[in-house]
Amino acid sequence: MSYTLRKALQGLLLILGVTFISFLLMVWFGPDQTYTLIGKNATPAQIQEVRQTLGYDRHFLARYADYLVELLTLDLGASTSSGEPVSGMLARTVPVTLALMLPGFVLGNLLGVTLGMAAARRRGQWSDRLISGLSVTGMSISFLIIIIAFQVLLCTPYGLDLFPVRGWQVTDLPSYLRYVAVPSFALIFVTLGYNTRFYRAVFVEESARDHIRTAHAFGASPAVVMWKHVLKNSMVPIITRIMFSIPLVIISGSLLIESYFGIPGVGKITFEAITNGDQPVLKAVVGLTAAAFVLIQLAADLLYRAVDPRVA
Amino acid sequence: MFLGLGLVLAACDDDSERGAGATGGAHGFSVYRHAMDGAPSSLDPAQASNIYANFLAVNLYDTLYRYKYLARPYQLEPNLADGMPQVSADGLIHTIRIKPGVHFVDDAAFPEGKGRAVRAEDFVYSIKRHFDPVARAQGAWLWQGRIVGLDTWKANGANYDEDVPGLRALDERTIQIQLISPFPQLTHTLAQGFAAVVPREAVDHYGAEFAVRPVGSGPYRLSSFDSARAVLIRNEKFRKEPFDLEAEGFDPASQSGLGLERLADRAPPFSDRIEVEFIAEDAARWNALIAGEVDFAKVPVSQFDSVLETRDPPTLKPHLAQRFNLAANLESGFVRTDFNMDDRRVGYHPDPDQDARNRALRCAIVKAFDWDRRNEIFYYGIGRVFPGIIPPVAPEFDPEQDDSPVRRDLDGALALLSAFGWNAGNLPVLEYGYTSSVTERQMFEQFRSFMADIGYPQDKIRSLTFATYGDYARAYLNREVMLATTAWTMDYPDAENTMQLFFGPNASPGSNTANYNNEEFNRLYRASATMQPSPLRTAMFRNMNRLVIDDCATISGISRTLILLWRREVAVLPDRSFVGGFFFRFADAGDVGATGSEAR
Amino acid sequence: MISSSAGYAAREVPAPTRDRGAAERIWVRLRDDRSGMIGLVVVGLFLAVAAAVWLGLAGQGWSAADGGRWEPAGPQHWFGTNVLGQDVFQRAIYSVRTAFEIGLAVALLSTALGAALGALAGWYSHGWVDGTVLWLMGVLDSIPFFLFVAAVAYAMQGQPWAMHLAMIATFWTTTGRLVRAEVMKLKTREFVLAARSIGLPAPLILARHVLPNTVHILLVQSTIAFVAAIKTEVILSFLGLGVQDGVSWGLMLAESTQEVLAGHFNNFLAASVMLFALLMGFNLLADALQDAFDPRQGTP
Repeated sequence: MSYTLRKALQGLLLILGVTFISFLLMVWFGPDQTYTLIGKNATPAQIQEVRQTLGYDRHFLARYADYLVELLTLDLGASTSSGEPVSGMLARTVPVTLALMLPGFVLGNLLGVTLGMAAARRRGQWSDRLISGLSVTGMSISFLIIIIAFQVLLCTPYGLDLFPVRGWQVTDLPSYLRYVAVPSFALIFVTLGYNTRFYRAVFVEESARDHIRTAHAFGASPAVVMWKHVLKNSMVPIITRIMFSIPLVIISGSLLIESYFGIPGVGKITFEAITNGDQPVLKAVVGLTAAAFVLIQLAADLLYRAVDPRVA
Repeated sequence: MFLGLGLVLAACDDDSERGAGATGGAHGFSVYRHAMDGAPSSLDPAQASNIYANFLAVNLYDTLYRYKYLARPYQLEPNLADGMPQVSADGLIHTIRIKPGVHFVDDAAFPEGKGRAVRAEDFVYSIKRHFDPVARAQGAWLWQGRIVGLDTWKANGANYDEDVPGLRALDERTIQIQLISPFPQLTHTLAQGFAAVVPREAVDHYGAEFAVRPVGSGPYRLSSFDSARAVLIRNEKFRKEPFDLEAEGFDPASQSGLGLERLADRAPPFSDRIEVEFIAEDAARWNALIAGEVDFAKVPVSQFDSVLETRDPPTLKPHLAQRFNLAANLESGFVRTDFNMDDRRVGYHPDPDQDARNRALRCAIVKAFDWDRRNEIFYYGIGRVFPGIIPPVAPEFDPEQDDSPVRRDLDGALALLSAFGWNAGNLPVLEYGYTSSVTERQMFEQFRSFMADIGYPQDKIRSLTFATYGDYARAYLNREVMLATTAWTMDYPDAENTMQLFFGPNASPGSNTANYNNEEFNRLYRASATMQPSPLRTAMFRNMNRLVIDDCATISGISRTLILLWRREVAVLPDRSFVGGFFFRFADAGDVGATGSEAR
Repeated sequence: MISSSAGYAAREVPAPTRDRGAAERIWVRLRDDRSGMIGLVVVGLFLAVAAAVWLGLAGQGWSAADGGRWEPAGPQHWFGTNVLGQDVFQRAIYSVRTAFEIGLAVALLSTALGAALGALAGWYSHGWVDGTVLWLMGVLDSIPFFLFVAAVAYAMQGQPWAMHLAMIATFWTTTGRLVRAEVMKLKTREFVLAARSIGLPAPLILARHVLPNTVHILLVQSTIAFVAAIKTEVILSFLGLGVQDGVSWGLMLAESTQEVLAGHFNNFLAASVMLFALLMGFNLLADALQDAFDPRQGTP
């Protein structure tokens, strides 16, 4: 019981910390949205009016307190750029981002586990070196280059011209597959190198353990050993990696892809909010990200216990 | 993964209108797919401050006036209004009647969801909104200090139930505007998105959300809107006004071959559905056009080489000419770089000698600027360079004027510098402001290389970068930027719109970014502001232009030539200027069959 | 005496004639790792180029716009020119300096910060110091990175170091966690207990005895941070939040997105190839370092 309490308290402190620092950054260092909302030939009086409606004149702590209340009651307000309610924007964009990033993320990890295992099994042989070499190569190519190159190669008449250049007009399964293909390829390409190397290292570490050598000695086939014993016992680091890379890959990674491919997801609106200084949107995204982070940690803890009873 | 699919299908496009909307009768279902190089942030006409928002506002809503589709130069024509305004003898009272039988679209904001008839009172309300701080409107400057009682109304608390003496609805269909002093451009302002007519019920019902839930009486209504695209569908209740080629200013000599003739006598809007894609990235927009995913796009400058067969006049390469039509339109605006005259290092100085030295420095910089190379590198050489602040698209432009102010004169520049005692040691550090983007940075580096030719040390020309346009605007509106490059889009085809850019009282935070203040200029501006267009007024404008050029207050300017391409099957004459957007209702994509927008 | 430990797979090693110290063993492993050596040489070459640019010996003409537009590779401009007529080769060379400035600053400072805070947290583990540092790490990991950078960039009014600060402030957490874990392990080792029993103050123990034993982590992490810093700079510059004056591969790539579709690949290729080469070199080096310090993990 006290364990749960402690975890909950830690989670709360984390959320408070994230929201406070982010809000600090937004208010003191973020773009002043006043100047995008005034018309041509604005008078100083008009500028002051806009500032007041944006709430810039109030004391920082008062605004922070309001922010916390908004998060608690989930009253997220409306975007100051477009007037659309933030909850509506999130409801519209979060599913799109998930639908966009999940296939690439899942496949990237599945492939990484498979390749990592193949490499770990054949440690030292040419196939291991090949996989490791390709992984390092993949890690050395910038995400940006991948996106540009893939768009030219797959979506334009200069290349294969198989997929749409941009957009997200998804109405059914075939159109979904067409729009998600290139972003997923790009995502897999970029993360596969890192994933493979990580999983390979985990499996190598696990394979060196005594109980694996014992299993070999007892005559279990290498494949069975790998899958049944090594994989099962590596679940803790695997889960850790997957869970903790979710925020990074899905939230930050989606930003570039959505901007470049014109997909109306949460990464794009977050980036636009950052550059416009649209505080309601940013406050909501940051607060919910922090909450998600905490929930992910909790979920990871639970999964650990389910998978490995030794974890207290 | 199935979770993802489920979410996707729940978030997908609302295509339910397509089946029900095939009312083109014999014409099948037609979809026009437009690509814009930016996105509107709001669909509220009160916030239609950029061209993208203006485009959508004039199609979702009605303005009293619009510009004729095909007439060039542009001519005003009644839209929601019944005829041109009746103006009293002193030019102060404008009476406008609106057409009968115009309705707002059906919407939950109205009782029983049925859209009611548009009344004169709605127009009055729409203009009042610009003076209500809660609306965060951006068009007040057009009518500020011009309409009797409007400013007082705002000062009294912006109560909509209170009347404004100079802005009244005489009856259900008659509007009367009373001006404080003559305002020749009033009718032009009534053709802008800012002046679109909105119903009070919708604003009250939706509050801030009204910006994404438009309720208008225009030729289209909104199906969906997000940061990537907007989808408009035909408004069945829109008034039927058969397309009259001649009345719209059709010129058979230059405009045949576009397929417009077959549209005669049909009632716009011609397309059942319009999909507007917001594609800011040049590469993606170009790809989308070539791949056939959109029908229209503005060609990015980097593609001009591969697209144009000849430059003057611009024609398409044969393989593209088979697929596309081309329009080479001079933009309705211009780009210039202002000196901040309030900055004593380069601008006005209380000491007359230093003031003269500063002026010589500015003029040397202007002379050293290589407009031809700027034009060649960034605008493919087809931009139109002109001296001063009256752009070629304005009626008052003088094609015969002496263009030596924009021809590079290194000798003259060097002579000025040495005559006034400037040398590499005492030249001031120039701070060149721009928003952080590839093209802007390249322009800065090019500017630096121009100045190197008159001996300006490289490290004395510094960049002042800003992450966003808002930051940049904040800086130059607070007079913090020494050299500010801005693009001005004209609000109406009248050079008064550019003259006010150098009118002293309009200094920052107004649109006089240069903070120019010349008594003679100000005097001429005040005198000409109330004059109707006339040869005398034109002469005064050209005089004022000369003053700005002689004072070297700005490095000006160039009007870009936009290359617009659209698929040949689409019968349309598109336009991206301040009249922008009205052409949507006349765009006919032809019959694409029941499959709608699947053109690949 | 043959040095080996349980689990160390047999491999061909020249039979050592004497017992070398741990550091020498590591160096031998490193030296024998061919791909690692290639990486080292590549990094060394780039470092030499960066030094040359710093000293003003190369890449000085990166900003002069004197060529024609989009000239192909030729004797005067080895990689051709970009749209302004600037020499692409010079710009690519100058970008090496930019890359190293960012990479070194971020790698060194973030590793140092991570070492310091990680050591503190590990030493006073499960106390309030540890709790605070862990909380700080969690918070920094949860803040959207681009928000952070944009905010810092704005706060510093376009100062060139805004991006570096933002990266340092967020990259230290990985090193911090690793150092913390390592220090918690080292705390229980005999030599540390001995030092404490004779009354040495904690900072001294940390500095002279504990931290030197984390050098393997710090070295590897700094190479990883270098790579991450350069990759991040590329994306930030592309978005307009990165390098403001001067030139970097990120800026070149940003320029190239418009040019590539017009068939002008010079900018793209020059920046991509050089970026790839440097990153590859560093990654190989990082791998080799990891293997040298912990041979069980690598390919023998």
